[in-house]
Amino acid sequence: MSGTTLPVVLRAQPESRAYALRYFLRKNPRMLVGVVLLAVLLFVAAFAPLIAPYDPIKVSVSDALEPPSLRHLLGTDDLGRDVFSRVLWGSRVSLSVGVISVSIGFLFGVTIGLLAGYLGGTFDLLAMRVIDALLAFPALVLAIAITAALGPQIQNAMIAIGVVAIPGYARLTRGQVLAVRSRDFIVAARTVGVPPVRIILRHIFPNIANALVVQATLATAFAILAEAALSFLGLGPQPPYPSWGQDINYSQRYLANMKWWMSAGPGIAIFVAVFTFNFLGDALRDALDPRLRRSG
Amino acid sequence: MTTYILRRLLLMIPVALLVTVGIFIIIRIAPGDPVLTYAGENPDPLTIAAVRAELGLDKPVPIQYAAWLSRAVQGDLGRSFQTKQRVVEAITERIPVTLELGAAALLISVSVALVVGTISAIKRNSAVDLLTTSVTLAGVSFPNFYLGLLLILLFAYVVPGHILPPGGWTPFSTDPGDNLRRLILPAITIATASLAVNLRQVRSSLLDVFGQDYVRTARAKGLRERAVVVRHALKNALIPVVTIIGIQVGAIIEGAIITETIFFIPGIGRLAVQAIPSQDYPIVQGVVLVSALSFMLSTLAVDILYAFLDPRISFAAAES
Repeated sequence: MSGTTLPVVLRAQPESRAYALRYFLRKNPRMLVGVVLLAVLLFVAAFAPLIAPYDPIKVSVSDALEPPSLRHLLGTDDLGRDVFSRVLWGSRVSLSVGVISVSIGFLFGVTIGLLAGYLGGTFDLLAMRVIDALLAFPALVLAIAITAALGPQIQNAMIAIGVVAIPGYARLTRGQVLAVRSRDFIVAARTVGVPPVRIILRHIFPNIANALVVQATLATAFAILAEAALSFLGLGPQPPYPSWGQDINYSQRYLANMKWWMSAGPGIAIFVAVFTFNFLGDALRDALDPRLRRSG
Repeated sequence: MTTYILRRLLLMIPVALLVTVGIFIIIRIAPGDPVLTYAGENPDPLTIAAVRAELGLDKPVPIQYAAWLSRAVQGDLGRSFQTKQRVVEAITERIPVTLELGAAALLISVSVALVVGTISAIKRNSAVDLLTTSVTLAGVSFPNFYLGLLLILLFAYVVPGHILPPGGWTPFSTDPGDNLRRLILPAITIATASLAVNLRQVRSSLLDVFGQDYVRTARAKGLRERAVVVRHALKNALIPVVTIIGIQVGAIIEGAIITETIFFIPGIGRLAVQAIPSQDYPIVQGVVLVSALSFMLSTLAVDILYAFLDPRISFAAAES
């Protein structure tokens, strides 16, 4: 079949792919900044046990409430635990919740969107009503309601944030599928008898992947922020395990004593992590969507 | 137009029903048994059964749902397990506070977004624009609960004179001055996140409009730049902004939950947060229902307003 040779011809060689990547990054310097920030974040999360100077949950009452110093870069909390070490370890919670919940949302949302867009009809109608119902809740309210019902645990926070992310993907995917579905190459594939699953996975999905990557990146930013908010409300990982939102909540009781450093570390860490994904998402959108690049 | 509104309202009914089913399921899948929370210490099986029957939890779940829904449409959302207060009463008592807070936040967010967004669009790619877009991105990324704490720290311990109190609430009817002073910090906290989104929308839709033929025509016929921006561009650029503001209602409800908790404000957000640890189902259900319904209604209102403001939008297209 002549149609199968086309992708082979278009497939780039590894060297030229590396070149294309370099060219892409040079053309989009913001991408480079975003990727570097992300790499730092991932490095910290992966190697937290090696980088952290202290055990994040080890209580040392004699060191309690020390302000930032060379010994404790971000000071210590009321139990003498090193805030800097807790911040480093906390990145593991935030990033894993971000990645896992976004994967849950991606998997279910994209599947529903692909099927609804491609099949249309009753499935589309029913699926989209359920999605509408999910969208009717303010996202964080829904996440709080689900986590509160399932119980305050990190896994439940992941599920809740994942569920909240589903409608975004489903809607985006469905819209993109509807736009791509009537294009000539899909009609051609259908005409030559390519099975629907193959059409969806090989022909439609790669064409909507760009938009989904952008959505996933921005959704990770939301997920990290949502996890922090849930933890802040006591619905995330439970003490003594370090988590940024929970540590800020905990620090509230020392606010009146001006022990600002207890919350500064985790607060800035949340900001940096969320900012990284928002920044990267924005840069990706500009780089991948030529229409937006023009109207910038 | 009337047909469009009616159809939108009719379409809302199945979604609203699904929402209520959703809320019901969410609350009922909870692993803890609220009966044990309310039956006192070491209850005997008889007491447990009595409490269960009293709370209406001894019936099958679909029947519990049907009973709850039929009462809910009559405005009866049950009673708080904990305080025995009627849920509707608990919510209506507190909702004016949340509404005032939300309105103040919306006002701050929209007015700042309009001014700064317009300047940023007019002076595109200038230092002002760059600064604005960077601060915007930072604003979206900043956790509002930390911002709230920073504001409390700043005004309680750094700024002298205690101009703005770090928390608490005085109703407007009791002392308007004190009410406004207590409103400012939480309103800013909520406004920051939505400000970034609004500002970005004002900027990008103005930039879109600047490229249109009618703006070029207005400039070509020699209108002053101010007239071009205010009379021709801004008016049309605001149409998409209206949509975004509608979506902000959701963000404001979310913001209220966190902010009311930090600033000790007796609104419905704090009510819900306090009800969670004690598994006070009816309260959580009620607050989640009220937030979902108000979010739905505001989205509907915006859709209608949008179709009204922009005659080019075909109602059929708006629906799909």
